[in-house]
Amino acid sequence: MIESIFLVDDEDLFHLVFEDACSLLNISLSLDAVYSTDVAETMFAEWHNDPSDRPKCAFIDLNVIGSSYDGIELIRKVNNEYGNGIIIGIISSSVDANEIERAKDAGAMFWIVKSDEVEPRLQQFHQDYQDYVDRIKPFTVYK
Amino acid sequence: MMVKFTTQIEIELIELAKDKNVYLEGNILKLVNTSSDQFKQYLDVSISKDIDNRKKRLEVTKQFQDQNKELLEKQRENDELMQSLQNALSQAEKAKEDALNDLSVMQKKSQYELIGNIVQVALCVILGVGITVTGMYIYSMALDSEETTLIGSTWSNLFGILLTNSFSIIGTIMGVKYANNEDKKKL
Repeated sequence: MIESIFLVDDEDLFHLVFEDACSLLNISLSLDAVYSTDVAETMFAEWHNDPSDRPKCAFIDLNVIGSSYDGIELIRKVNNEYGNGIIIGIISSSVDANEIERAKDAGAMFWIVKSDEVEPRLQQFHQDYQDYVDRIKPFTVYK
Repeated sequence: MMVKFTTQIEIELIELAKDKNVYLEGNILKLVNTSSDQFKQYLDVSISKDIDNRKKRLEVTKQFQDQNKELLEKQRENDELMQSLQNALSQAEKAKEDALNDLSVMQKKSQYELIGNIVQVALCVILGVGITVTGMYIYSMALDSEETTLIGSTWSNLFGILLTNSFSIIGTIMGVKYANNEDKKKL
């Protein structure tokens, strides 16, 4: 089980879906969720100074409406400016190959496709989680 | 990290479930440890209820998500339709404006043609009358007629009237031309 996870997504309903799915699949006991990349960046900056409350894994939506920049840019900032070894990746309904490549270049470790049935993908990701922690798992797209 | 309640709390929680049908719920259930079989049974029931509730909520949330997606899709279609209607309306307005312009041009053209004809006829009449009376005057002077004085005063009056009318016609033509130029400037 992942100790704590962090979700950045502009969609209210997906917060509920994600929380319930993670609970039912025993993925995590603690979920923190925010609606914009700007807020998330502030939190990552705080965690950079004080990593005690830092989540173990972060799921970032690609297009976060109402934010100054998209999820890939946030991942780039987290890895380059607030890098502290967090497992981080994209969760998005998009399967755009260019965006996936962009995310990979920015340092995303995974790409989970968000659709009606996200649970099987989350479960698969959960199974691979330890490999991400051990840094032996290459970038993976969960379709 | 696991938590363990005291025996007293375990008993109270079990009693609460029996009396009020109120159970612990949420992820804390996954962290509670007990040595009591009775409380273990209580935890199993609580976890089962919690899972059922979460499944229900997940199902409902997904339904809302689907409905939201459909609504957004319909809104997008409506927006596209509105845009098409706006474009069609703009085109219709432009066509109407063009038609009105064409109509105005045709009306003006007819008016100019009519004015041109009137001026032409009026000038012919003026010239005709002028030439005829002048001819008569010259003829009477040549014959040294008794009517020369009468024709002379008539020629003089008539010539004045013809000159006045000619200038009046020229003035009208200039006025029409000026008005036409003003209309063009406004357009």
